[in-house]
Amino acid sequence: MAKRKIKKIRTLFLIICILQLFHIFFFRSEFQYEVIKNPFKKDYGISFVVSPEIIETINILKKHEVKDFNLSASVKNNIYLFNKTIELNYPIRMNENSKMIFFLNKENVPNNCEVIEAGKYFKFTQC
Amino acid sequence: MTKDNFHEKITLVLSFLILNNYFFLSLNFPLLLIKINFLIFLAAVLIFYFQNISENIYLKIFFLFIIFMALGTASFGWDPRTIWLFHAKRIFFDGSIFSVADNYAPFSNNSYPNLAPAFASSLAVLIGHWNEVFPKLSFSLMFLPPLILTYTFLRNTQYLIFLSIVFFTIGKFMFNGWLDGLVAIYFGLSAFLMYLLMINTDNFYKNKSLFYYIAFCFFVSLTLLKNEGVALLLILFVTTFLIKIFKGELKKDISRLIFLSFSFLPMILWKLFCYSKGLDDAHINIDLNLSSKLYDLDSYKLIAYFMLLNEKFVICLAFFLLSFWINWNKEIFRFILIAVLMYILVLSFIFFTSPYGFYFQLDTAAVRLVRTLNFSLAFFGLYNLNNYRI
Repeated sequence: MAKRKIKKIRTLFLIICILQLFHIFFFRSEFQYEVIKNPFKKDYGISFVVSPEIIETINILKKHEVKDFNLSASVKNNIYLFNKTIELNYPIRMNENSKMIFFLNKENVPNNCEVIEAGKYFKFTQC
Repeated sequence: MTKDNFHEKITLVLSFLILNNYFFLSLNFPLLLIKINFLIFLAAVLIFYFQNISENIYLKIFFLFIIFMALGTASFGWDPRTIWLFHAKRIFFDGSIFSVADNYAPFSNNSYPNLAPAFASSLAVLIGHWNEVFPKLSFSLMFLPPLILTYTFLRNTQYLIFLSIVFFTIGKFMFNGWLDGLVAIYFGLSAFLMYLLMINTDNFYKNKSLFYYIAFCFFVSLTLLKNEGVALLLILFVTTFLIKIFKGELKKDISRLIFLSFSFLPMILWKLFCYSKGLDDAHINIDLNLSSKLYDLDSYKLIAYFMLLNEKFVICLAFFLLSFWINWNKEIFRFILIAVLMYILVLSFIFFTSPYGFYFQLDTAAVRLVRTLNFSLAFFGLYNLNNYRI
């Protein structure tokens, strides 16, 4: 009798654990099948964690094989763009003395700067 | 105890390898050694899974599901992305935890401890490259030592209830890249080991050196996870110290306490390094202009609202009280109550003195930090009912 009762309690808590995991999976986890398709692929997952602006800076810096870059004052004032550009482009570093500068597309580029590539969100320049 | 101390030994090996990885990266050991260290860790996990496969089967199955979720989610939050995973990325590319000395990207809080990022970077070293998904899997793997150790004390249905408590109090923090879940479980188990080795009158565990090594590893891990871990471990030591003085037993256990207190050393060395390099810890800045907040009733209402009226906290507290109502155990109750009250006081002090604004700090941090209390209360409540055969 006691054994059967214990078994019932165990089954109840097993069901509770399974329900909790399903609740976490469906309502809390933000699980995406797109993410789990290639979780170990090199450089995978960037598009899931940052906006297209940041991805554009990554593509431009890789394409031009630069070692460091700088950001215009407007970009630096935007906390999201400033932080994420630095984080996601590492090990390419931001350097205050770098001549390779990102300007927002809506910004005017100084006369001493040459636009190397104009993307959808940024102008990549050499000053 | 498990057969041949299997679970205890696996816990010690896994916990030691996590710390060893940090030690290797501190001393710029070759990447090959770091890879071997991580491979041994994975081999130990496989041994845990396949040596007597049916033992602790619920954890084995549920943890596979946690791994699946870790690999199928991306991390968006500020702390996981900008602090922990960015630190891991820096360690991966620079090959040392000391690369932060240049204070590049100071917004990522370079002076924060790096145990978890170091482990994530080593997983990336083993895989051979970096991406934005798999490194946080290592944070989930760090849950294994405390989860495995608990099987030593709670079996069958009790272990299932324990897992249910973990899912309830920690939940998605087991795989989403935040470290608050790790702090909660490492604190809970550290408090438990401190209780068994220092407070409990039963000498069974006190005479087993294996448990002292495990406790030492857990204490070091707790301090190197987050700054908050140092405060939590200090609370455990102060609580133990006070109880020992009260009981007049301080002399008897002082050598053991001194041995365990060496667990603060790695964190002290890290903070000395940060201080010598001028790395700023923004969260240590405090606003001592307290009078306006201290005399304002709304401040206390806000603290109560965010911390103590949190539904999970209320449920865990109710379970804890119910457990001690059913089975009164003065020793456990006194120990955990002092620790919890001291933690609430420390948290309140931090919120009152935060330079970032009272409401902002509570809104962003209270729900995460209170997980530690929730887990500890529920865990000790469950352990207190250990003698009931279910």
